[in-house]
Amino acid sequence: MSSAKAATLAAALAVAASAAFAAQTFPPPPVASYQITCRLDADKKTVEGTEVLTWKNTTSRPAKTLRFHLYLNAFRNTLSTFWKESRGETRGGKHLPDSWGSIEILRMTGADGEDLLASLRYVSPDDGNPYDRTVAEVIPSRPVAPGETVSIAMDFVSLLPRVSVRTGYKEDFFFVVQWFPKIGVFQDSGWNCHQYHATSEFFADFGNYDVSIDVPARYRGKVGATGRRVDERETSAGRVLYRFQQPGVHDFAWTADPAYLVYDDTFREAGLGDVRLILLLQPEHAAQAERHFKAAKAALSGYGRVLGPYPYETLTIVDPPWGANGAGGMEYPTLITAGTHWSAPKAVQRPEGVTVHESGHQFLYGILASNEFEEAWLDEGFNTYMTDRVMASVFGPNHVELSVFGLNFPLGIDIHYPVDSNRRYFEVADWDILASDSWKFRERKSYGAHIYSKTALTLATLERLLGTPAMDRALRLYSDRWRFRHPTTRDFIAAVNDSTGHDWTWFFDRTFYSSGIVDYAVAEAESEPAKAPRGLFENDGKLSPSPPADLPKVRGYDSQVTVVRSGDVAMPVEVLLRFEGGREHRARWDGEARWKRYSVSRGPRLIEAIVDPGEKILLDVDRTNNGRRTTDDPRAATRWTARAVFWIQNMIDFMTVLW
Amino acid sequence: MSRRRGPRALACFLRGLRLSLSKPYLAVALWLIQLLLSAALILPISNTLHALLDRSPAADRMVANPDYGWWETVRREHPDLLGNFPEIATGLLSVDGIRWSELPGMRGVGATAFSLALLATVLHAFGLGGMLGTLREPSSSLVTFGREGMRRMPAFLLFTFAAFGAAFAAYEWIYVGSGDALRDRVRELHTEQAALAVTALRLAALLLAFGAIKLLADAVRTVWVARPDLPPVSRFFFGIGGAFSRPLRLFGILTTYGLVTAALYVVWLVLDPSAGGEARFALVPLILAQQFFVFVRLLIRVGYYAAVSEALTRTPEPEYSYVAGAAPGATPATGNPQAASPAAANEAPLDGV
Repeated sequence: MSSAKAATLAAALAVAASAAFAAQTFPPPPVASYQITCRLDADKKTVEGTEVLTWKNTTSRPAKTLRFHLYLNAFRNTLSTFWKESRGETRGGKHLPDSWGSIEILRMTGADGEDLLASLRYVSPDDGNPYDRTVAEVIPSRPVAPGETVSIAMDFVSLLPRVSVRTGYKEDFFFVVQWFPKIGVFQDSGWNCHQYHATSEFFADFGNYDVSIDVPARYRGKVGATGRRVDERETSAGRVLYRFQQPGVHDFAWTADPAYLVYDDTFREAGLGDVRLILLLQPEHAAQAERHFKAAKAALSGYGRVLGPYPYETLTIVDPPWGANGAGGMEYPTLITAGTHWSAPKAVQRPEGVTVHESGHQFLYGILASNEFEEAWLDEGFNTYMTDRVMASVFGPNHVELSVFGLNFPLGIDIHYPVDSNRRYFEVADWDILASDSWKFRERKSYGAHIYSKTALTLATLERLLGTPAMDRALRLYSDRWRFRHPTTRDFIAAVNDSTGHDWTWFFDRTFYSSGIVDYAVAEAESEPAKAPRGLFENDGKLSPSPPADLPKVRGYDSQVTVVRSGDVAMPVEVLLRFEGGREHRARWDGEARWKRYSVSRGPRLIEAIVDPGEKILLDVDRTNNGRRTTDDPRAATRWTARAVFWIQNMIDFMTVLW
Repeated sequence: MSRRRGPRALACFLRGLRLSLSKPYLAVALWLIQLLLSAALILPISNTLHALLDRSPAADRMVANPDYGWWETVRREHPDLLGNFPEIATGLLSVDGIRWSELPGMRGVGATAFSLALLATVLHAFGLGGMLGTLREPSSSLVTFGREGMRRMPAFLLFTFAAFGAAFAAYEWIYVGSGDALRDRVRELHTEQAALAVTALRLAALLLAFGAIKLLADAVRTVWVARPDLPPVSRFFFGIGGAFSRPLRLFGILTTYGLVTAALYVVWLVLDPSAGGEARFALVPLILAQQFFVFVRLLIRVGYYAAVSEALTRTPEPEYSYVAGAAPGATPATGNPQAASPAAANEAPLDGV
């Protein structure tokens, strides 16, 4: 590295460090803090609450209106944007039940007692749907000035739906999320307050939460929530009140189920602090408690080492009951939901995978609070990348699972992280541009494949191009700069550029901001014995058919390899030519042209040519064409032919045995 | 009047196995039929695999075990090879089952394999006629098998397709239909174990229906061969009646057959001689082992049909008592049908359907 570059890098890191110092303070200055008292009516499936919101306008412009998320109204009827986008299906593709949810604000007053409810109207900033009720706007009599803090009091009642997507109830189980009127994020560009969509999550400002939850007495000891429990006391006959507090978070979730088995453990690792782990497990999964704890600890350790320590005191892991798996696999500040099966074999990493992933969201969503509506890859995709790293290092490869009438069995086929675990991307590789709003993907399948898997493969590719230490430095710089703030993709790219001292913008332009595919292939690999020259040669000034005697003796092989770029996207790749006798030739190709040819004259016999032999470019959609041998080896094909014929014989037998 | 008990299911099954072993050419005939059918796919499968693998460095990883990445890529890049055949195969084992609307999603080799299996149903009718006819001949040969198969073919084709349709209807109405009807209720159950129990009940009902369909079809076929002295309609109802008169014994035989076959597959899957590459089995021993497994499975299958024939047509005498060649007219209506079994050569006038 030149001294000029080194100086630039040092300056960048110094700036980064100073920014990081400011950002690392915990808890961060509150922007939107909530004090809520609520009461669960377990029979009516309602939560009645009183909320006091303290909100600060941190922008440089006055807020003439205030916008609130009323997420539960997504379940109000089939005219909501969520219902229309989801086509009445859950995240798992099942039909949404006809069980409706809603949230109504009964009272809304400003600090001076001003009635804000009278000015409330519903707005649909994303799609203009006049029937969507998930975003409400009120107009205070006086705009909230820059830097001003206002206090707003509300009474509300939330009707919970039968759990199908994240929130709701099933019998006595309650998972209460997206349940209170929540203010949007006010930015210099205006309100960032999106509707509830089928394929998006959330975005909110940091604040301090103080929530009291009044539940029937049968839930005693079986209530979990964001933050630390600070109080438990009886309120009236047959009811118990729990109080939870948590500074420095941007959402609050809670759950109650009399069936929960409650387990406690502590994560402890030098430099990463102590974290109390609370596991609320269904009785039928009691044998899997340790598996949940091991996964949560692996996540806190693996993520903490790269992104910095987990700053909160607790992490609550919730195991939803049978029939409520729509609540599973979700993340909320200091509280996550996992999900498992009664017959979850150890070789298939469930609940491990989901527990690591959702625990990881505490960092990539919880602490690095990016906008999940507009840049969902920054939490889901980055988190998938980190999940794959933790899973690979702690648990090893996963295995293909076969479900036989509801019982799950592992097959002896490895699923390697990250490429095998993200193969769904390849199926829809050119359907969408990754950097799109969450609700603007062609299909839910494409959303998942791009947001989760393409991002993970992109970052894993970047890691292989940079090297793991450099990648970790980039991630750490990004994390240090943006802890408890709202980073964007450009902020991550800046962190990569600053930490490496190189401009990697081209890489992100070709991946995050492109729908192009990557596919390199070896189109030709031939090696033939070198032939003696033939024809007419000059001998003593005359043409004769005999080659000159001073020509070097013909020996060895003439080899030729043609490597092609079949995909739209160019990446730098390595090309390996492997010769007889163990000799190898490695060449780097910038991959920009459509093809490149390598020729070796009179060398050893070429055995095979492989493009990207180190499997660095994980975005390559077809790795079966990445290598080519010069001679046939029919063993694998012959054995698989034998296998195929054998199983067709068995299938024929099966098809005739019944009748 | 003292009630005489017939042979127990296990005894029938063992006798059937002995009979199968005494006429191994029956299993050989079935093995040949299945092998020839599947051989129709050897060339397309082999050519495709050689084209994909022979020059690929990935082949090293594929000699021993399936490579998930290779398999997924080939399926994605060559959807014309199998289509959704793997999904349909795994869907058969799922809680929801498969919808017939998914069948058009099969392509290429996958679709051809399915069509061959349908063709196998036709040949199955032929094979059953040959097998049941031959089992009743004290001295018989492969020629007997072919002759008997062709003679029974029209009627057996009818029975086979009727059973085929009934089995499909049972799958659709009992398993898939109950799954649809109960889906919401199952979601409301308290635990996953309870849901699994519901699935087990649905599966048990399906298997029971399958078993009943199969036993009815097999009983009709058996009596059809054993009682050529009766008119076709009587033979049909005699067969139905035979199944209803010995339901436990027949179900016992079927269950034993199912368990023995399942055990055979478990042994195969555990030993899995095709895994581990050449370190475990070289190619020729592998193919021989595979075909030996198929042959053993077919021996057991022939044994099952012989056992059903035993259970339906054998009187309770302790000794084996097939008697061939008696005149049809000598058979009392409710007497020992075996004693009256006519020579195959004399059956033609009664067999037309």
